[in-house]
Amino acid sequence: MNDPIREYDLLMTRRQLFGRSALGLGTAAMASLLGGNAALGAPSDAASGVGGITTDGLHHPAKAKRVIYLFMSGGPSHHDLWDYKPKMRDMSGKDLPEHIRDGQRITGMTAGQKTLPVCPSKYSFTKHENNDQGVWVSELLPHTATVAKDLCVVHSTFTEAINHDPAITYIQTGSQIPGRPSLGAWLSYGLGSMNENLPNYVVMHAKTNFAEQSLFSRLWGTGFLPSDYQGILLRSLEDPVLYLSNPPGVSREARRSQLDALAALNAEQHERFGDPEILARIKQHEMAYRMQASVPELMDLSQESDETFELYGEDARQPGTFAACCLNARRLAERGVRNIQIFHRGWDAHGNLPKEHESQCKDIDQGCAALIKDLRRRGLLDETLVVWGGEFGRTAYCQGTLTPENYGRDHHPRCFTVWMAGGGVKPGITYGQTDDYGYNIADEHGEPLRPQPNKKDWTPGTMHIHDLNATILHLLGIDHKRLTYRYQGRDFRLTDVHGHVIHDLLV
Amino acid sequence: MHPTRTFCEFSPTAILFILLLSCTASLGEETTGDVSNPGVESTAVDFAREVLPILSNKCFVCHGPDGEASDTLRLDTFDAATAEQDGHRAIDPSAPEKSELLVRVHSANDPMPPVDAEKQLTDAERDVLTRWVMQGGEYAMHWAFVVPVKQTHENLKDVHPRKVIDAFVGQQLRRANVDFAKEADRRTLARRAALVLTGLPPELDQLEAFVADDCDDAYERFVDQLLASPRFGEHQARYWLDAVRYGDTHGLHLDNRRGIYPYRDWVVHAFNQNLPLDQFITWQLAGDLLPDPTVEQLVATGFVRMNPSTAEGGAIPAEFQAKNNFDRVENFGTVFLGMSLTCARCHTHKYDPVPQVEYYRLMAFFNSTAESSLDGNKYDYAPVLTVPNHVDEWVAWSEVAAARDDLLNKAGDLLEQKTDLDAETRESWSKASHDERLRMIADESGPFAGHELQGLSAELSDRLAEFESGFTTTLVAAELPEPRETRMLERGEYDLPVGETLEPDVLAVLGGLSAETPRNRLGLAQWLTSRSNPLVSRVLVNRIWQRTFGHGLVRTPEEFGLQGEQPTHPQLLDWLAVELQDSGWDLKHMLREMVLSRTFRQSSAWRDGVNDPDNRLFARGPGHRLDAEVIRDIGLWSSGLLDPHMGGEGVKPYQPRGLWSALMHPASNTKQYVQDEGDRQYRRSLYVYWKRTSPHPMMTLFDAPSRESSCVRRSRTNTPLQSLGLLNENQRVEMARSLAARVLQAAENDSERLDQLYLLLTSRKPSDHERSVCLQLLQAQRDRYASAEEDAKALLSMGELPRDESLSPEEYAAWTQLTTAVLASDAVILLY
Repeated sequence: MNDPIREYDLLMTRRQLFGRSALGLGTAAMASLLGGNAALGAPSDAASGVGGITTDGLHHPAKAKRVIYLFMSGGPSHHDLWDYKPKMRDMSGKDLPEHIRDGQRITGMTAGQKTLPVCPSKYSFTKHENNDQGVWVSELLPHTATVAKDLCVVHSTFTEAINHDPAITYIQTGSQIPGRPSLGAWLSYGLGSMNENLPNYVVMHAKTNFAEQSLFSRLWGTGFLPSDYQGILLRSLEDPVLYLSNPPGVSREARRSQLDALAALNAEQHERFGDPEILARIKQHEMAYRMQASVPELMDLSQESDETFELYGEDARQPGTFAACCLNARRLAERGVRNIQIFHRGWDAHGNLPKEHESQCKDIDQGCAALIKDLRRRGLLDETLVVWGGEFGRTAYCQGTLTPENYGRDHHPRCFTVWMAGGGVKPGITYGQTDDYGYNIADEHGEPLRPQPNKKDWTPGTMHIHDLNATILHLLGIDHKRLTYRYQGRDFRLTDVHGHVIHDLLV
Repeated sequence: MHPTRTFCEFSPTAILFILLLSCTASLGEETTGDVSNPGVESTAVDFAREVLPILSNKCFVCHGPDGEASDTLRLDTFDAATAEQDGHRAIDPSAPEKSELLVRVHSANDPMPPVDAEKQLTDAERDVLTRWVMQGGEYAMHWAFVVPVKQTHENLKDVHPRKVIDAFVGQQLRRANVDFAKEADRRTLARRAALVLTGLPPELDQLEAFVADDCDDAYERFVDQLLASPRFGEHQARYWLDAVRYGDTHGLHLDNRRGIYPYRDWVVHAFNQNLPLDQFITWQLAGDLLPDPTVEQLVATGFVRMNPSTAEGGAIPAEFQAKNNFDRVENFGTVFLGMSLTCARCHTHKYDPVPQVEYYRLMAFFNSTAESSLDGNKYDYAPVLTVPNHVDEWVAWSEVAAARDDLLNKAGDLLEQKTDLDAETRESWSKASHDERLRMIADESGPFAGHELQGLSAELSDRLAEFESGFTTTLVAAELPEPRETRMLERGEYDLPVGETLEPDVLAVLGGLSAETPRNRLGLAQWLTSRSNPLVSRVLVNRIWQRTFGHGLVRTPEEFGLQGEQPTHPQLLDWLAVELQDSGWDLKHMLREMVLSRTFRQSSAWRDGVNDPDNRLFARGPGHRLDAEVIRDIGLWSSGLLDPHMGGEGVKPYQPRGLWSALMHPASNTKQYVQDEGDRQYRRSLYVYWKRTSPHPMMTLFDAPSRESSCVRRSRTNTPLQSLGLLNENQRVEMARSLAARVLQAAENDSERLDQLYLLLTSRKPSDHERSVCLQLLQAQRDRYASAEEDAKALLSMGELPRDESLSPEEYAAWTQLTTAVLASDAVILLY
């Protein structure tokens, strides 16, 4: 949180530097410097009144103060991780029945295949106790299985997009075509910041052995929103935040005297022209100075206990691993950062799925579980929403050659698994189900529901990606229909004209 | 207020308005330079400017052009609003007080909008609606859909446009009881004009000459120098490239390299040549459809190819054929019409009179271009044109190529006439390429041995080879021999075509195409640039105004439709729009008159007693943070590093390691950022390589758009990360130390060096306070580096340029710390 005393001290320091006669900041300027309102950092051309700090929710009381989104880029296979389909074993290698495919369009990669052979998962599943009927988890995720009682596992997530770029752009921005603000940017815009010494929206890229598929800065970009709502990369290479370090040979004291001079020069500019943005900029320079201390403090894991590294795994000592990113996420959460996203690539297993997914799961499994346990024991889980998922699922049929040991799967939009934890979601439940082929969302009798992303009707038991985003915003105290920004004459929102909050998932 | 109120109650007010108007009009006849009432006004409720925005924003979602059910009341036309429905009329001109619209908007029990509607009426809006209905409820066209006319007072018919600008601005200032601000001092004005026109501070010799020039037209001549500078085109081009979303990569998925920089260079060239904007538009939309198109006209069609594209494995061509076209139609809407057409992709527009079918008719103009819908991840995503890689060579090359064609024609004729030629030679000639034919002509044992054409052939071969060594390719537009079928897509879904085959056509509300206009992109361009198009000149002149004054006359340059903002100075906007056409679409003329206006020349200091933070009155000069590119270019220019070379493949200055590889697919050819060396590091920012999925961080940090979609107005944010970039980035530090070396060498003492530093960066000498702050910082840094030579050398090693060994490292480092701070200060990074 903002510290008015420290602010005031800094201001006094500057005032002494400026000299009474020369400048003497006006009352309004004092107020804005002392105000500590994130709106000051907001641009002058922000169109709407939102953007201030809120801890109790913008439209209604928030269940979660922050979100940590673990994004599995490429499309993890729900078949091999979460959606247990024992009956597929009997159909192994046989063509997917036409009534199951039911007109689903197929990507150009498997459209030319002569057959679409049913491909059961080679992995064993175990039913883990949760707070309801239990949840099946694959042997690939042994650690995650230990937090089954915290997870709200949604098997009935769906999208329309069938290729990566449109699909990941869709789930992150609400539109398949680039140009819209990202989920994180909307959250920054709506909620403001609780920590002025760290960026409000932090994005991390975790290492992977299979860096397939691309990411795009639009996924944490602002589209037509002012650009200061964009996600800031927290990197494991060189400066954690771009340009954080002073140039070589420039000490912190030297920078201090530089900034004091800069503030004095800018104050004179303000004296001449009276533009309040100039005062705001003086404040931004001070924030940058504080960030130069707070970011290294954030990244310094030396005070973390051995026990913590046991929890996250030894990987967490290696900067840039998914486990290290999870540990950073917890540290960011503790420091009031509201909006944290980790991207882990490499889930696009068209061939050699077992080899790739085994490696991928090893990357993420322990970190996911440790993050939840760590948040819980620190009392942060209740106020932190954790989301895990990708941009779509993978097909029930094999891409390429099917053998008992090896196979691949193409992209599948009609159903995939996303889990959430903490921050106001029901712990230890599963939601929605798919048919015997993990191909269509189905009712409890296995009959396909064929949900449409129609704004008027929501099909109970299903979660379109707009519904997911509406629910995330809801948990953070935002009505997805009311968080809007006018651009080109239209009041845009993340969920376009769609989206339903899925109250069944909420505490 | 109550709906049964009668019209009579309004009359006294109306009369008062008329009286007031006649008073101000009589005042205005005194001098041409100070006309109080340059335009013409009316007292009735102005439907287009007052009523329609309310109907659009509050009512049209249910009662607008897209009224979903046939029995839904529509309020978007007079006929519909006055039709009887269930025994009522929404508007009843014969008995206005009985109009259902009034009853409902004032009803407590059954109000409109309904209690649960997201948008409710304000009292002021209810008042406007009431007065309007009571006055008869007449409809008129939305202001921006009516062809603009110059509405000016007699006395303003034959004066400079700058005077007209001032008259219109002055009129509103007077209404607000304020006068123009005092004129900015000459140095400030010189810096402002130079930054607005060329994106760089004034050259010192030009600056001093201007300041010393006592002639009345000194400023005018100074401005003309700026307009003639090649830097002008570079700076103005940047805004256009934002609008058309120019990038050096395809933009989707692998985001591979795309060869289209000749288009960017042509835009710069066109602005420097002051190509009339109607031709500028026509060449871009349809250069390939002009008779015997020139290289420039063909390269310009890169505009049509600017949509992001993909070749993602698994992508379905038909899907991307549709998506590419959506992108082009919607970009076309934003760039030329200042209108979002996106709504009409899926359904009839909720606010503007754009039926869904018209969206697809417009799309039909773009649906028959020859490129495939997937880009193959190729640099030369066909069709492409092979051209010399520098725009200056295009004309010379075209002439040589024409000479070659001429020669080959002559040679062909000669062969025809030769009776003794064997069939084999005839055959090989007919199959030969241009180059092979030239070689055949030059061949001493060939059919032309001894002929006078031989010398010319050899010469042309050599010259062509010279050009060809520097060839590149650029994406261009071409039409398919047979057009693709275009049909409406239900909900915008590519696989749900419905209805009949659609012919290309324009939006009906903006006036249709004449019978003789071709139904192709050329016809579309003719429609855009005709005098009957109400939007294009307004939209363009508004953006020209915006980049001159910091804000547009319409504050939503991307939206002139019903939901956009009203212009702050409607008559001025219309006057300028017509003036743009009258001047022969002359960009330099418009900019020249704008910067010569008193409005522009005002001091930009905020004024006591003028409560107008957004400067809607234009009661002060422009003032805002400069764009990313300008901030970088000022640093390069002032430090003497700027490489003036123009054009060519995008340049790659320093960038933190790993930014691209952390994002990109292993198969992408933009996975590795390979930094340029030498002078290419120091080219103008316009030429920085634009990777659309990850633009240079020093650009995005300061609000540059990604160029994945159109941007006609950048945000201007103020963040701590900008501070880090300004003070710590490699190139910033390298500029700072080069600038330090430059001023150290330019003068003998600190005071003169500070003079030089401030002259370069702010076009003036430092104030006493600035001088003392700088000297204090300098002393502190000298003290620090006096005992830390290694630190000094470390600082001076940042960037690739070698340190100037003739300077003492301690002094050099201390000055570098100072120049870093001054370069980052608001006196340098702001326009004022």
